[in-house]
Amino acid sequence: MAYLSQYQYYDNNGGSPQEANWGSYQYVSLTDIVNNFLLMYSGNHSLINNEERYKVLFHAKRAIQELNYDAFKEVKVLELSVVDSLRFVLPHDYVNWVRISMYKDGLLRPLTENIQTLSSNAYLQDQQGNILFDQNGNILQPQYSDIDFDRIRKTKKSIYLNSGNQFDNQYGWNYDGMWYFDYRIGDAFGLNTETANFNPTFNIDKKAGVINFDSSMAGELCILEYISDGMEGGDNSLITVNKLFEQYVYAAIKYEILNAKFGVQEYIIQRAKKDRRALLANAKIRISNIHPGRLLMNLRGMDKLIK
Amino acid sequence: MINEVRNAVLSILNKNNYGYISPSDFNLYAKNAQMEIYEEYYSSYNKTINAENQRGSGTDYADIESPLAETLESFLVTNSLTKSTDNKFFVPSLVTTGDESYYLLKLLCYPIMLTSGIQSGTEVTNNLVCTTGNFTTYGIISGDIVVNTTTKATSTVVSVTSNTQILLSSNIFPTGAPTNNGFAIFKASSLTEADKVSMGKITMLNSSNLTAPSNEYPSYVYQGSVLELYPSTISTQGQVQAVYFRFPKVPKWTYISLVDGSPSFDQSQTDYQDFELPTEDEYKLVTKILEYCGMSIRESEVTQFGMAQQQHEQPTFSMQQ
Repeated sequence: MAYLSQYQYYDNNGGSPQEANWGSYQYVSLTDIVNNFLLMYSGNHSLINNEERYKVLFHAKRAIQELNYDAFKEVKVLELSVVDSLRFVLPHDYVNWVRISMYKDGLLRPLTENIQTLSSNAYLQDQQGNILFDQNGNILQPQYSDIDFDRIRKTKKSIYLNSGNQFDNQYGWNYDGMWYFDYRIGDAFGLNTETANFNPTFNIDKKAGVINFDSSMAGELCILEYISDGMEGGDNSLITVNKLFEQYVYAAIKYEILNAKFGVQEYIIQRAKKDRRALLANAKIRISNIHPGRLLMNLRGMDKLIK
Repeated sequence: MINEVRNAVLSILNKNNYGYISPSDFNLYAKNAQMEIYEEYYSSYNKTINAENQRGSGTDYADIESPLAETLESFLVTNSLTKSTDNKFFVPSLVTTGDESYYLLKLLCYPIMLTSGIQSGTEVTNNLVCTTGNFTTYGIISGDIVVNTTTKATSTVVSVTSNTQILLSSNIFPTGAPTNNGFAIFKASSLTEADKVSMGKITMLNSSNLTAPSNEYPSYVYQGSVLELYPSTISTQGQVQAVYFRFPKVPKWTYISLVDGSPSFDQSQTDYQDFELPTEDEYKLVTKILEYCGMSIRESEVTQFGMAQQQHEQPTFSMQQ
């Protein structure tokens, strides 16, 4: 891709949107990656020859996907409000989550994942416990299981934590921001500190593509920080790689092609593998921004007494 | 060159009174000899590349690859392909492009069509006029490709004069009253190379999530006399260009008959065609044609002479396959 003029960069040549090219110099496009690779690493006098372009494209995209999973640190953020169904549908390009927070009273409250089951499928059964089927042999299912129903109707108990309060550490119902409790009988022992949290909790149902929250999240704003695979919904013209990883992507394509090719000597494959690993390590160090200014900030805390 | 070759062949044949070949026989042998040598270029080129990879070739005067590449490239042509149906385009042929393709080097596409329509309004030289056009809104810029989809002629945009008129670099629409020729305008910067895919792979490729053909990475399959382009939106005349090595033109030694009936060389005739091979391969043509002549007149010595000459002329450096 040709270099942009300053007018193109700042004002998109007067076109819309104005910000289309802002920050674009950090990135190299997939088109450039594939072109450069075919031009520089493939040919009559190169290790790689007679390979179809779609293979190069495939390995380039796979390398970019892998980088997006951890090395890029490019976290996408989406805010949606959680309605009475207590579900947050995962974004279309969601691969994994980084942090889920509730935005309330101007504060971002990171939420804790509830490792206990919050949601379930259910089958309809008769009084003898037999599963019921329709005429096509499919199992009949209710819209909600009891556990879902309780959660959505806010009839499911959850623990109340408020040190100093007489109901601290006691199970109750949170309804419209108010807590309701049974008469207390005895003490609650063995608090599960892993899940004990004042804020709502969540559980991700990956196959169903939703985040399920507990009932205290109804009507609240949820902010999901997540990572994608960088494939931009399949639009090849939008796929880019940070320039710090450009050389790594070439090395990754080279290694993958040589590794899958018949008759390539093992030492050549190993050399390509080492190249790839070293370039990934270099790029990760570069993108982690370890520079004097940041080190200085850490060193300032060096003389602080640890009590 | 063709007359020199013929003279040399006749001279060698006549030296021992082996015989004489007629102009029509000579033309037949000339065609075959040229084709044989032409095909040898490709295998020789492959050998030189292998030799280079084994440090068997140098640079400057020791470069054995460049002269061969130059010879081959003299047969390289670029032509717009004629649309057959849908996303299918005819392979280059005498009917569609005026020459036949020996080897299709690459296929270039303009996958992004900015607009298309029917030319209307009084046409001015070097202009495209469309009274219903809205040319200023499509992002058309200087250099974009304009195709007359009726006549298949191609030109480029010089400037967008108004919503209904574009100034072109050449005249591809008939001037005067509207002829209702079709037109299509393609984004020049979208030019990309289509990847050749075998018929066995294209179905899987089309259904692949990561590598399905797209505007950025189009593909094509070779099927009989047509090339099928993917994505199937590449389906407009002028959208596809082929870069290919054409077959050399069939040589023809033309003549006029003298009073005694003997032919005299006449290159002013319309069907005259010289050899298209470089001058340094003249001796190869002579020896090849001699081989054919020897078989024709049943003189094995002539054939052996031709073959011996060819053996003698083989390069001495080691060129392994």
